[in-house]
Amino acid sequence: MRRVFAVAAILTLSGAALDAQGVMVAPHAVFIDHRLRGGSVLLYNPGTEPVEVTISTIFGYPVTDSTGAITLRTVDAPDSTLPSSLAWIQAFPRRLTVGPRERQTVRLLGRPPVGLADGEYWLRMVIAAQAGRVPISGVADTTAIQVGLTLEVRTIIGVNYRKGPVTTGLALSQLRAQIVGDSLITRARLERRGNAAFIGTIRQTLMDSAGRVLDSYQSPIGVYITMEPRLVNLISPSRLGRGRYWLRYEVVTEREDLDPTVVLKAPAVRDSVQVVVP
Amino acid sequence: MTGFRRVAFILMMGGGASATGRAAAQTPTAAVMANAVVVTVGMTITTLRNLDFGTVIKGVATTVQPTAATAGSWQVTGSANAFVIITFTLPATLTNIQALPGSTMPITFNATAARWTRATNNAAAGTPFNPAVGIVGRLGPPPNPNLYVWIGGTVSPAAAAKPGIYRGNVILSLVYQ
Repeated sequence: MRRVFAVAAILTLSGAALDAQGVMVAPHAVFIDHRLRGGSVLLYNPGTEPVEVTISTIFGYPVTDSTGAITLRTVDAPDSTLPSSLAWIQAFPRRLTVGPRERQTVRLLGRPPVGLADGEYWLRMVIAAQAGRVPISGVADTTAIQVGLTLEVRTIIGVNYRKGPVTTGLALSQLRAQIVGDSLITRARLERRGNAAFIGTIRQTLMDSAGRVLDSYQSPIGVYITMEPRLVNLISPSRLGRGRYWLRYEVVTEREDLDPTVVLKAPAVRDSVQVVVP
Repeated sequence: MTGFRRVAFILMMGGGASATGRAAAQTPTAAVMANAVVVTVGMTITTLRNLDFGTVIKGVATTVQPTAATAGSWQVTGSANAFVIITFTLPATLTNIQALPGSTMPITFNATAARWTRATNNAAAGTPFNPAVGIVGRLGPPPNPNLYVWIGGTVSPAAAAKPGIYRGNVILSLVYQ
């Protein structure tokens, strides 16, 4: 039943799609229960041309670099110290063509090793779609040089396989914030607890010295290991007067874009820091 | 009503409205019952425009700026405010598919050959970045949960380049958290 509803939603969403090539991937995060050992991803082609799709899997998880930028750390051959399901989750089919206004399902099947410890195991699913090619309408002039580029897009989503009791949590520390021009820039150390990724949202609230809320921001976040993401948000109004302000920083296990039943619950963590505009 | 349910509700209304329209054309008094729960939202990368160098001249480098009408462009639609890691896999050479093997043409992408914007489709206002390095982008807030990416580049056909069609692959990858 749920599948039907998801398709209905996709068809509804795609009603306003541009007349261009692409493929919709839903959901954008897959959670597999060990008792079911399977999951699926729906592909929908809202365009008027068929789209060739190739499915592959890699192991990786988001980390932050020294500047706070989020990158995907990939490991080609993850060893037993990493919570990888790369070796035992397979996707079917690996190659497919999604016709115009058609949908197709890619299934994920887990064949975990006997004695797999309780916990959460990760991989990333890569959905590669040939998204177009510069049309070359024949070379009438045999001395001409023409350039045509084949474009491919890859959507990379997380696949989390859960066995037994899984827990998550977060420790928040080293919160700092500054206002530069019209932007609020914040960083904090987010240290994951438990045996599963922390999938949630960072909520930030900027207040004046009297406690009045000036602006608020929400940032979906996935914390797989310790990270220190740097967040930049435009302030509205664009310029703050000189003075002292407060930033309230809170991380909660809530996501508006995911089914609440797959988001692991954990206590919210929060902190505040003063921001001075000289 | 949570955000998730709010989205579900909106989609239900959208789907229900179109269904009602069809039903009404047949039986004006018909009521359409709907019982829908949206499992999740999806993510779409749509190629809006190809990176097109067209016909180039031997011995003359041709550059397409990321703000040009012939730049490659993509629209990403997904979860509002979400971060996505944007990376490119770029060719260093293009291969002439009509000539003997080994007939190639260099293609380069400089440190500002790519741009991205949040929510609005405006390359001129985009943030430049090095496509060889990548960047973290962010989808726009509601009601425009979009992100746009552009790429340009430079092809440098040699004076002795063989005529024909030169091809290469540009791969745009987006990692969703």
